[in-house]
Amino acid sequence: MRSPDTYDWQAAPLRPLLATELRELVSGRALWIMLLLLCPLIGYSFFQAVSLYTESSTAALQSPVLANSLSPLDGILVPTLGSFYVAVTLLFPLVAIRALGQEKETGALRLLVQLPYRLFTIVSAKFAAVLAAWILASIPALSALFFWRMMGGHLAAVETANLLFGHLVYGLLVGALALFSASIAESAATAAIIALAVTIGSWVLDFTVAGNPGLLSWIAQLSLTQTLRPFEQGLLSGGLVLGAACVIFGFIALATVWLPPGVPPLNKLRRSLPWLVVLALMLVVAAQVRLTVDVTEDRRNSFPVPDQKLLATLRLPLFVTVHLAAEDPRYADLQRNVLAKLERAMPSVSVTLARPRQGFSGGSSDESYSEVEYVYGKRSDISRSTSPREILPLLYALAGVLPPAPTPGSEYPGYPLVASADAALFWFFGALPLLIVLCWWWVRRPPSVDNSLAHEGGPS
Amino acid sequence: MSKLPAELPTSQSPVPLLRVSGLTKRYGEERAIDHVTFSANSGEVVGIIGPNGAGKTTLLETVVGLVSTDAGEVSWHGEPLPASQRRNALFYLPDGVRPYRDAATYQVVSFFAGVYRRSKAETADTITSVGLRPVLHKRIHALSKGYNRRLLLALALLAPHPVLLMDEPFDGFDLRQTHEIVGVLRSQAARGRTFILAIHQLVDAERVCDRLILLAAGRVRGSGTLDELRAQTSLPAGSLEDIFLALT
Repeated sequence: MRSPDTYDWQAAPLRPLLATELRELVSGRALWIMLLLLCPLIGYSFFQAVSLYTESSTAALQSPVLANSLSPLDGILVPTLGSFYVAVTLLFPLVAIRALGQEKETGALRLLVQLPYRLFTIVSAKFAAVLAAWILASIPALSALFFWRMMGGHLAAVETANLLFGHLVYGLLVGALALFSASIAESAATAAIIALAVTIGSWVLDFTVAGNPGLLSWIAQLSLTQTLRPFEQGLLSGGLVLGAACVIFGFIALATVWLPPGVPPLNKLRRSLPWLVVLALMLVVAAQVRLTVDVTEDRRNSFPVPDQKLLATLRLPLFVTVHLAAEDPRYADLQRNVLAKLERAMPSVSVTLARPRQGFSGGSSDESYSEVEYVYGKRSDISRSTSPREILPLLYALAGVLPPAPTPGSEYPGYPLVASADAALFWFFGALPLLIVLCWWWVRRPPSVDNSLAHEGGPS
Repeated sequence: MSKLPAELPTSQSPVPLLRVSGLTKRYGEERAIDHVTFSANSGEVVGIIGPNGAGKTTLLETVVGLVSTDAGEVSWHGEPLPASQRRNALFYLPDGVRPYRDAATYQVVSFFAGVYRRSKAETADTITSVGLRPVLHKRIHALSKGYNRRLLLALALLAPHPVLLMDEPFDGFDLRQTHEIVGVLRSQAARGRTFILAIHQLVDAERVCDRLILLAAGRVRGSGTLDELRAQTSLPAGSLEDIFLALT
């Protein structure tokens, strides 16, 4: 018997597939329109950010003590890339959906799935094209950073790279979601509705349930936009990156399940279940990864280095019981200024939010309200402060260690800059859009045909 | 690619190259195809003939494994051929597809040639054989229906599969163009490649097919060569149209 298995399908080259997927994304209108829209969006955000930074810097130059609060991460990078985030949320799904949606609409998918590639390879090639599209779409944002440097602005390499990495992770999440949407929807329009329902739904989650306790807090964490926040704060969270990678992989795996035409939806749903279980397990594992690195130049997410070093040597578990309502702003202060930093600095920290007792009037009747109890080993103490200046000595006393001596000269200097971004306006509103249009024209120009393919042919 | 169509034998062995037995596909209560059985040998052009809605497309898509079946089996040289392995042996050319609309014709052809590791000479031959040269630079969305059909034929011919299934391969061609394409298919069949063509134009089917399978309402109403069908229907000089009307 001559079995078809004897054909060597594994040898199919990847290059034509990748080249075709990339060409498909680049030859469509969606990517170029997104790029054109990004120019004024990012340009204006950058201009505004520089204007505000200049105003603050003017004051800081007159009063140098204010200078150390001037960080380009908060003043320039986050607001400028914020508009990129908006565009990725609203426009990038439309670009990514094209990678699959058009093939479904034209029926070409039925040809594609017959090619000698695994379905996972096909979806991965599309995802690689989506990654390339994101890199192209980030050009306006990168040019803003370049302008900032040209103007004499300061960029801390690690925190800048971390923020860009965060945007990449977010972009890939949105891209993978879009591919999955395209795989389950019959048309690109329906896929866009599904993808935008999730991305815009994330905003709704942020506005409505974020900051609430319990289940609502857990639901709020499902928001895609939560992915970007730690990066904007200058944190590189291992668990978050791993979790995002798991979700991206999950979307690709599910898109692979839903890609083949002609399989009843119930069968696809059945095949999806094992992947959903695997994804859930991967997310549980990712949630256990506590490694978070503060990559900010001003180390805003950490205690001073001597304190960090000393806290790292306190091996016993620290139990913290907070008698505050979750929505109380003091709890947010405590969380940001102390608890989050402690969790990163000490080997074992356990925080419990004690539910305050409610009085008849609806307010708290608990006298212990706003107290925070710290238990280390067999010793405990109580404080109402949300400042590390008071809490760190308290902890050192509990641990029976002497507070470290402050290190002189470790203060963040701040980077005030008085500059004008007028020239950037010409770039973002004139030169860059013109360049994009020229590139679009170049891509869309009539292609030249390989002469060897156009000849009359002969015996092969 | 380890095997090319040119290497395939054109034998008439007792075990057919491809056999479809009792293939059934239901959509709810409706049977799109109902216990369809037929076979195809190397180098044969088999026509699946039927009016619109007869189940021709569903039949082709179930045979290649693009659509799941409710019952029946596909075998290859007498051995069961699971749906997951069918794309190794069978290549299906759907009807009404306009792939990669924004790409140039030659880019799409080059893509398939690259995937199947075709040489430039083989690719150029295929382009010439289906008459695609005048539109190589044109984008797919700008192609006429006929040239789009030629493009799809070129893609199918670039695939190295021993059996090609084509849905309405002559749709969009005039008489002269149909003659040209019939010649191309015939020359490929002479080199051992098998074609299973779903055709609703009976004249085209009569012209190109070695054997015919008459399908109506998802069921096989008759099969065989034109002469065998004439004998079955006692219409010694009957056209395929007469035979079809007599059997359905």
